Formats: sequence, structure tokens, C-alpha cells
Amino acid sequence: MSKGEVRYGMVIDLRRCVGCHACSVACKSENDVPLGVFRSWVKQVEKGSYPNVRKHFLPSLCNHCEKPICVRNCPTTASYRREDGVVLIDYDKCIGCGYCIASCPYQVRFINPLRGTAEKCTFCQHRIDNGVVPSCVNTCNGRARVFGDLNDPNSEIAKLIATQPVQVLKADSGTEPRVYYINPDAGAMKGGYGPDSKVHLERGRNWSLSTTEKGRE
Amino acid sequence: MDATVVYNIPHQQGLQVFIAIYFYLTGLSAGSFVISVVAYLLGKTEYKPLGKIGAFLAPILLVIAPILLITDLGKPMRFFYLFFNVNPTSPLTWGTFLLTIYPISCLIYLYYVLKGNQKMIKTFGIIGIPLAISVHGYTGFVLALAKFSPIWNNSLMPLLWLISAMVSGIGLVIFVAIVMEKVFSVSLAKFAGEMSTETSTGKMLAETAASSTGVMPLNEMLGGVGKYLAGFIIFDLFLVFSEILVLLTESEEAAALAASLLTGDYSFLFLGLEILLGALIPLFLLLHPRTSRSLAAQTVAAVLVLIGVMTMRYIVIIGGQSVPFN
Repeated sequence: MSKGEVRYGMVIDLRRCVGCHACSVACKSENDVPLGVFRSWVKQVEKGSYPNVRKHFLPSLCNHCEKPICVRNCPTTASYRREDGVVLIDYDKCIGCGYCIASCPYQVRFINPLRGTAEKCTFCQHRIDNGVVPSCVNTCNGRARVFGDLNDPNSEIAKLIATQPVQVLKADSGTEPRVYYINPDAGAMKGGYGPDSKVHLERGRNWSLSTTEKGRE
Repeated sequence: MDATVVYNIPHQQGLQVFIAIYFYLTGLSAGSFVISVVAYLLGKTEYKPLGKIGAFLAPILLVIAPILLITDLGKPMRFFYLFFNVNPTSPLTWGTFLLTIYPISCLIYLYYVLKGNQKMIKTFGIIGIPLAISVHGYTGFVLALAKFSPIWNNSLMPLLWLISAMVSGIGLVIFVAIVMEKVFSVSLAKFAGEMSTETSTGKMLAETAASSTGVMPLNEMLGGVGKYLAGFIIFDLFLVFSEILVLLTESEEAAALAASLLTGDYSFLFLGLEILLGALIPLFLLLHPRTSRSLAAQTVAAVLVLIGVMTMRYIVIIGGQSVPFN
């Protein structure tokens, strides 16, 4: 992180997260994410037994790693990392081989069933380029999500990271994620199925929808 | 205190069944090519029929394999992008070029095998061996460099992949040799000879040809190759054993994966099909003095080995993604 450059990142303050899933909904609607796949979602775990029970949340999204394995492994250079640290996919170059899905330790990628190419959170690139925060940050009613420039010492995110103990997911992957968590739960950070989620779905293209939906891309 | 996951989204599989079959086919191709070259280069005339079978199998399998890869893409019509948007750090890019060069080298090799040009067979055999090893070795790196599953992301994967390729390659060559001689009555001795046309001749002719060119009877020949196969199976078993042992202690997710292989959803496939049927029984059949020279036992061993390696590919690719990592 050299000084003077913009380096975007996000802090998710779980002391303020109420688990309302508004960020998942905002992301879906902002980015027109098809049915069955998610760019951002909130994992939810439950601990203890009555009266000592508590729910814990873990909002998940692309970590926009400093050393992204998906970019290293993409065979067509469709996945790339911008100067400001945002990891993006060039949909015109992507062939949908799925190797980036296999490469990502955070499992944030998926094949868009309509487009046939890989997709993931873009930090709402179209919004941040116009000076607005990502949609999930904008909508978060507890102000748990904070987005900003990690290199600007006066930004809210830089102050939070400097003054609070923060964690990243799967630090041992060596990817240097740029999404930081304050107060995450260990049980939520490790892998787990939900009651009705079969964790690994076959990816496939919905050919019947692809013709009608194409105009909206 | 255990945390119960109340809600999580389903994730997509990175690599799917087609990829497992593709890995199997490249393994078969690389394995049979290596056997073919070894049969020709070591100058063992008695193994020449197998060498020729291997030379035929290698390019045929490698023509089917990329079709599977392309149909698996989300955007199949864009497959040629791989040649124009090159990313040198991606193992898939290495594979793109290897998969282009290797079949060509296989075909040239086959051409000289059919021509019977010993010098050129040697040249293209020596060129082809590193290509065959890398064309299958790269698929090992495809898995080893992917972080999705702990069963993939380890340095043992490329070696395990190569050794199991040798196992399946030898198995296929043995199987095809038996089928050719017994089902289609093709004389292998004649098949291996300088005459390149495949003529179906009776058993009598085969035996006379065998005595004239010094080719040993089929079961003796396969018994000899079976010893090599047994050696590779033992090596493969050792690698699988060390992989599972390390998985059990590596991390929580890896231990869950190992448990799923040993006692969970994949235990039947892993212990039953891959280890018992695919490795231990063939090993017994190939090494026991009473069965190692019997054609029936060799057929059974070859088929079991082929099933075992396919199961192993399936378990690593699909089973490797069966426990939650996020």
C-alpha cells in the first residue's frame, strides 16, 4: 500500500449488524443478480440454548484481495485487478470455465446462469466511479458496512482499522483481503451448511431465459 | 460451543463431472503413450504389440478430451479466447498449449510407428514423453493451485495424478490388447509387425507369426506388463494413504473431508470402489502366481483398475467439493 494511491476496502462492523439482509437485497436489485445466485449474502449462525442464545451474522462478499488467486488463475485474463484494488471481471473476455470458482477460497464467485460468464461483487464499480458508496453500504441501516479509501488516513474506514481490532477471513490463504471484520464470530467464520442449502450446486446455464433476458444486460 | 448454521447460501461447484472425465481421459492418453514409447525405446520386441496399441490410443483419447472441456464452458463458443488472451500464471493456459501440441506430436509418432521407422519413433518418442507427462501433469497443477478444497490444494496432487495416469494407461492397454486378440481375433504379433494393415487372422496364423517374430504369447506378455502395473498400483496406494493421513490432521475442513471419504458419504466409493476393487483386488490378481499368467484374471484386473482410477478422479473432483468451506 503505497501512499497517495487510492485503495478501496470495506469494514464490516458486526457490533452494529442486526442481520436484516438488506444488503443482500440491495445488491440483488442494484446489480440485477439472477435467481439462485448471490454477490453478497449474510450467513447466520445460532449459538447456545435458552436463555443464553444469540444469533451471529457474517455478511459475505468478494474480499477484493491484494493477491487474488482468481486473477492469477484466470486463463483468459478476464479477471483483473484495478489500480485502486477492485477485482473485476471482463465479461467480454470470460469463457465461463469455472476455474476462478475453484480457485477462490471464499467461494464468492459463480457462473451467471443467464450470461454464462463468471460473476461476483464489484464493490459496485459503477457507483464508486461516480463518487457514491456501494449499494450494500448505502442501504445498511445499522451503518455496519463502511466503505472507503484505506490509504486516506482521514477516512472513516482508515480510522476504524487503526483504532479497532479487525480480522480478515481465511488469512492463511495468503490473499491479503481488503474486507475487514470487527467482532466476527468464530462459528460463523468457519464452513457450514444451512439446513436447506445444498452447498455445492451444479452450475448450469439457463438457456431458455438467456434470449429473453439478454436485452437487459 | 458449537454454532449451528441457520442460513447460508448454496455455492456453485467450480469443477464438474465433465472435468473429472476429462482428467481421466488425458490420464489414459498420457499413460498409454508412455507405455508405447517405453515398449519401443527399450527395444523389447516382445512388448511391441502393446507399444502399437498405445500409439493408437493416445491421440484418439486426446481428441475426445478437449470436446468435454469445451462443452463444459459457460461460453463454449469463446474457447479460442484461450489462445489470444494468455495468462502465463494460469495452469489452464499451460494446458491450452499443451493440449494443442501434444496430440500433434502423438499423431506424428503414430505415423512413424505405422511406417516402422525406428529412428523417427525414437525421436518423437523422446519428444513426446515430456509432453505426455506435462499434459497430464498440468491437470494435477490445476487442482494443486486451486484453493477451493484442501484435498486439491497440496503438493502431492500432481504426482498422485501422474501415477494414477500410469495405472489407468497400462490397464487400458492390457484391456485393449486382450479385446483385440480374443474378441476381434486380431493377431497382435502381426499387428505389431512391419505390415501396418490390421488384418484379422485366425489363432493358428497368430501362433505361427508369433514363433517367427519371436513374440511371446499374450498372457506371458501381459503378465510381464502386469508386474509394472502392480508396481504403479502400490505407489498410487502409498500416495493416497499419505494424502488421507495428512488430510486428517491438516485443518478442520480437511479432517471433515477425510472423514467423509473414510466413513461418510463417499466411503463406499472411496474404500469400496477405489481402494478395494480398484487397487487391492487387481494387485492380488496381478501378483499371485496362479492368476498373474491367466488372461481372465488379467482382464478382470485391467477393468477394475480402469474403474478404480475413474472413481478416484470423481472422488477428488466432486467429493473434494462436498463439505462446506464457507
